[in-house]
Amino acid sequence: MMQSFPLNFRRAFIWLGRMVLGGIFLYAGYAKLVLPTMHPRPPLGVALTFFAMQVDSYQLLPPWGVTFVAHTLPFAEVALGLLLLVGWGLRIWSTLVSLIMAGFFAAVVRSYALGLEINCGCFATPEKLTGVTVLRDGLLLALVLLMTVFAFQEARASHPWTAPEKPEPQTPEAQ
Amino acid sequence: MKLRLILGVMLLAGFAAGSDFGSLGTQAQTKSTLVDVDKAKALGSPNAPVTMEVFSDFQCPACKAYYDAVWRRLIDNYVNTGKVYLVHRDFPLPAHAYSRVAANYANAAARIGKYTMVERALFEAQEAWTASGDVDGAVARVLTPKEMIKVRALAKADALKAGIDKDVERGHLFNVSQTPTTIFHAKGQTFPYGGQVNYDILRQFLDQLIGQ
Repeated sequence: MMQSFPLNFRRAFIWLGRMVLGGIFLYAGYAKLVLPTMHPRPPLGVALTFFAMQVDSYQLLPPWGVTFVAHTLPFAEVALGLLLLVGWGLRIWSTLVSLIMAGFFAAVVRSYALGLEINCGCFATPEKLTGVTVLRDGLLLALVLLMTVFAFQEARASHPWTAPEKPEPQTPEAQ
Repeated sequence: MKLRLILGVMLLAGFAAGSDFGSLGTQAQTKSTLVDVDKAKALGSPNAPVTMEVFSDFQCPACKAYYDAVWRRLIDNYVNTGKVYLVHRDFPLPAHAYSRVAANYANAAARIGKYTMVERALFEAQEAWTASGDVDGAVARVLTPKEMIKVRALAKADALKAGIDKDVERGHLFNVSQTPTTIFHAKGQTFPYGGQVNYDILRQFLDQLIGQ
């Protein structure tokens, strides 16, 4: 017999987190690769090198590092966004997204603290990096960390649909 | 209580991300027409495949760093070879006490064909005249006394001030709020970029723009 309803709070949180973060990562990667608001659309090489300039503005990496990040991050964001939405291998991918979000958060906090007047570059728009950006990234980091913890807890817990039912205690009469 | 807190965090995160998506519409992609170009403050060929409009402030340290690290190499490798048309736009920030004065002098120098020389002098001596307020002295070092008389008179002219105001208005059209900000134009596309950039990274972008 089913012991509890399968959609408890933890699972609902994971599902919502997957949808929110998966959607954001997918769109962020897509926007960097395609620059959807630009007409006519520029080719991929232009979009990636434009993103490279935004990565460079954080003044964190040498030119080769900037080029590497700019040419890999958008593809990684699309892939991770899709994986989160699908939900396959959630513990692995949510851990990776947590690390990436921690990196983003550290970068925006540093830039904000140093007073760098730069664009965020998050969604390939000329959005200035402000306290709102720091708050947003902090909230998203909190969301993905909590989702990851829940995903690991959920993996350890037995699922009510698949866990073997506990044998009913036998009464003395039955013996 | 815990549940409400967690749901609140999620809602806030979603809202913050949503607010960013909303800003997409403000991107200045449609302002591709290059207007009101003061040829005395532009370098290169207007027919170049890429145009860079640089909104700059003579008193801004980041603009000086951009000028020192990028400008010379950009002019040698892209402007003088006909690949980039470089347009200077004045965007004196209100927080800088002498930015307007410096812009007036630079624009006056442009009228007598000495813009590049005065621009270099102002950036090179930025620290000194920022401290002393002696913009006139910094400009006088590179112009002859006769040229200085003309420049001083022109710097007070309303027509020049109106030209600077037009540049500022143009900046507002692109939501410029910081200097330096560069607007790249190529094949009808417009790429706004705020802040400095490493020359090697800029070069990659320009090569892609030119080659598309």
